[in-house]
Amino acid sequence: MKTIALYSIKGGVGKTASAVNLAYLSSLTQPPTLVCDLDPQGASSFYFRIVPNKKYSSRKFLKGDKKIYNNIKGTDFDNLDLLPADFSYRNLDIELLEEKKPQKKLKKNIEELNTEYPFIFFDCPPNLTLLSESVFTASDIILVPLIPTTLSLRTFEQLFEFFKENKLDTSKIRGFFTMFERRKVMHREIVEEYSGKKRFLNRTVPYNSEVEKMGIYRAPLNAVRPNSPAAIAYQELWEELMGEID
Amino acid sequence: MNTSLDPLFFSVSDTFDLPTHFKHPGISFSFHAEPVKKETLHCYDTFDWKGWNKNNTILLYRRRLNIIDLKNGREIFSVSFRKIPQSFFPNDVDNKATASKLFNLSKLRAFICYGSIETEVRSWKVLDENQKTITSVELRSIPSSNEAQKKLFVKLSPVRGYGKELQAVAGELKKHPEYVGKTTFTDFYKAVLAAGGIVPDNYSSKPFVKLKPSNTIQDSARKLLLSTFGVIQANEQWIPKTIDTEFLHDYRVAIRRTRSILAQLKRIFPPEKLSRYSQAFRELGKRTNNLRDQDVYLLQAERFRALLPVTMRESLDPFFTDLGNRHKKELRAFSRYLVSEKYRLLMQEWKSFLSNDMSSDPAITPDARKKTSDVAVSSIQKAWKKVIRHGREISRIATDTELHALRIDCKKLRYLLEFYASVFPANILRMVVCQLKELQENLGAFVDLSVQQDYLNDYLSNLQCTAENTPFAASIGGLVTALYHEREQVRMNFHKTFDKFDRPETEALFNGLFKKNR
Repeated sequence: MKTIALYSIKGGVGKTASAVNLAYLSSLTQPPTLVCDLDPQGASSFYFRIVPNKKYSSRKFLKGDKKIYNNIKGTDFDNLDLLPADFSYRNLDIELLEEKKPQKKLKKNIEELNTEYPFIFFDCPPNLTLLSESVFTASDIILVPLIPTTLSLRTFEQLFEFFKENKLDTSKIRGFFTMFERRKVMHREIVEEYSGKKRFLNRTVPYNSEVEKMGIYRAPLNAVRPNSPAAIAYQELWEELMGEID
Repeated sequence: MNTSLDPLFFSVSDTFDLPTHFKHPGISFSFHAEPVKKETLHCYDTFDWKGWNKNNTILLYRRRLNIIDLKNGREIFSVSFRKIPQSFFPNDVDNKATASKLFNLSKLRAFICYGSIETEVRSWKVLDENQKTITSVELRSIPSSNEAQKKLFVKLSPVRGYGKELQAVAGELKKHPEYVGKTTFTDFYKAVLAAGGIVPDNYSSKPFVKLKPSNTIQDSARKLLLSTFGVIQANEQWIPKTIDTEFLHDYRVAIRRTRSILAQLKRIFPPEKLSRYSQAFRELGKRTNNLRDQDVYLLQAERFRALLPVTMRESLDPFFTDLGNRHKKELRAFSRYLVSEKYRLLMQEWKSFLSNDMSSDPAITPDARKKTSDVAVSSIQKAWKKVIRHGREISRIATDTELHALRIDCKKLRYLLEFYASVFPANILRMVVCQLKELQENLGAFVDLSVQQDYLNDYLSNLQCTAENTPFAASIGGLVTALYHEREQVRMNFHKTFDKFDRPETEALFNGLFKKNR
C-alpha cells in the first residue's frame, strides 16, 4: 500500500482537484484506490456527490479500522472509493490531543486497509496542525501543489523547515506547480528555476478553467474532460510519479 | 476485512420496465435509463472446467476479462482484455494479480472459449437526491431457440456504503408486477451456458469407475478400459489444435494405462487379442514420444534459460526455435495419423472388442471369472512388494538403470491403485497414494533430467563444428552441466525418499487397504 497526501499549508492551491484527479488515474492503473477526505469542508466528498452517514463523525474516524471501513463509500467510478469528511472533522486536532500517540494515529488507523487498497490518497485541510503531523507520519509521499508565486514557495520552505526541526523524513516531500500561466513572467521564471530540482516533479499543471468546473461536473476532470490541458497534465504528472515510485 | 456487498439477481417476465422515480420511506430515488445495447458474453474455462469446479466464472465482455465468483456473483477481477482469442494462457493477461489467479486455477491448461452468447442489455442507474449513483439495475435477456423461453435476469449491483439503499431498491423491485422470483448468479450463468449449448464437463484424465468387488475381473477390466478409452477419445480431436500440452499428455497417459491393464491382467482376455492390442497401443504410444519430449522442453524453456548465466541465454534461442519447428512437423504427422483409416479402424475395433461379450472359456481365459476384489488385492500386493524388493536392492550409488526400472514399477503400482480405487476405503487409499507420490516425484525428476541430458548430448553431437555454432554449443554444454548437477542432487535424495516409503507405517497402510477385501 502506498499512501499519498495532497498537502499544503496554503489554501486554494489545487489540493482537492489534484487528489481527485490523481486518485481517479490511480484507480485505472492500480485498482482499487481510496480517497480519504480529511478536510471538514468536504470538497472532495462534494466532487463525488457523497455525503457521510448521519452517525459518522471525527470520533469514529479516530476509532479507526471497522469504523472507518463501514463508512467508506463507492464513487460513481469503478475501483474508486471515498471516506467522506464530516463537518465534525474541524475538531480533529482537539480530539487528537487526547490520544496517546497522536502523530501515529492516522497510520495505525488505516493499517487494516493495507490488504484492500494499493493506493490511498489523503486530501488534507490547509494548515499545519497535529492532524497534519499525523498525515506526515502516515504518508509515503507528500505532494505539495504550489502556484508559482513567492507566497506559495515561502509556505513550501516553511514546511521543509518544519520537517527538519521535527526530524521528519524530508525525502517524502514532492512539490509540483499548479495553475501555471505561461503569459505571466513570474510564473515562467519560478517554474524554470525549480524545474529539475530534487524536491520537485517536472510536470506542471496549467491554469485551466475546466478545473474550476469540476464543481459543476462533480467528477474527476480526467473522467469527464480527459482531453482538457489540465487533465492531460494530471495524466503526465501521475505517470511521472509512478515512474518515481517504481 | 471486506464489507462490500454481493449483487442481487432476480428473474422477471419480458414486459419488465422501471418508472422514472419512486419514493421509499425516507429515501427517494430516480432511475436514469441508458440506451439498450447488444452485448456478447464470451465464456471461457479450461478443458477440465477448473474455473467452474472451483466456483469461478471466466467471462469476457465489454473488452474486459472478468473472473466472477460463481456462488455470489461478486467480481473477483476485471481487467482490460482487447482480444477475443479462441484460447489463452494466464501469461497472456497483463494484470499480474489476475494472471496469478488464473494460474492458480490451472498451471498448464489454456482457457478455451466455449461459446459466445449474444445478449440484450437494458440498464438504469439509480440516483439519490445528490444525483449520486447508489446502485445500478441491469436487465439482461438471454436468448433461447424458442423465443418464448428466453430468460430475463435483473442484476442489482451494489455500490459500497449504500447497502440500505440497495435493499430498498430490491424491496421495490420485488413489488413489481413483472417480478418472478429471486435467483442467483449460478442460475444466470447456467442459463448463459445453456443458451450456447455448453455443458460443463466433469472430465478427468483419471478413470473413475465404480467397480463391484464381487463382479468378475473380466467385467471390471472392460469397464476400466472403456473409461480409459473415453479419455483417449476426449483428447484426440483436440491434439491437432495445439491449444495446450495437456491434451497430448492425458492422451498418452490413457494409452499407458490401457497398456498397463493389458499387461497385468494377462489371463482374462483371449491371448491373440491381448497380443494384438498390446502391440497396437505400444506403437501408438511410441508415435507420441517425440512430441511429448518436445512439449516438455518448450514448457521448460524459461527454466532452462534461467539455469545459464545471462550472457549465455540468448545463444540458446536457436535450440528452441529448432525445437519448435520440429514440434510443428511432428504434430502435423501425428495429426494426419489421427485422421487416418488405420487409426480409425483400430479405435473402432477396440471399442467393439470392449463392448461385445467375451469368451469366458477357462481354457482361453483362465482368470476371467475371478472376483475383482481378489485380483485387486493380489495384483496390488504383488506390485507393491515388487517396488519394495527392487527398491531395497538398489545399490548405494543408485545407477540410472536401477532408478529407471524402479520408476516403472512405481508407475504400475500407481495405475493399479487408481484402477481399483473404488474397491478400497478412500481415506486409506489417499494416504497410500500420497506416500507413493513422493517417491514417484523423486524418480520422475531423475528420469526426466536424464532424458533431457541425453537429448541435449545427442543434439550437441549432431551440431556442425563451425565458428558460428561455438556460443550455441557452449550454451548447450552449460545446460547439460546444470542439468547434470540437478540430477545428481535428485539421485542423492533417492535413498532418503525410498526409506520414507519403505517403513512400517506405509506397510500398515497397505495392509489396511487389503484387510477389508481379503
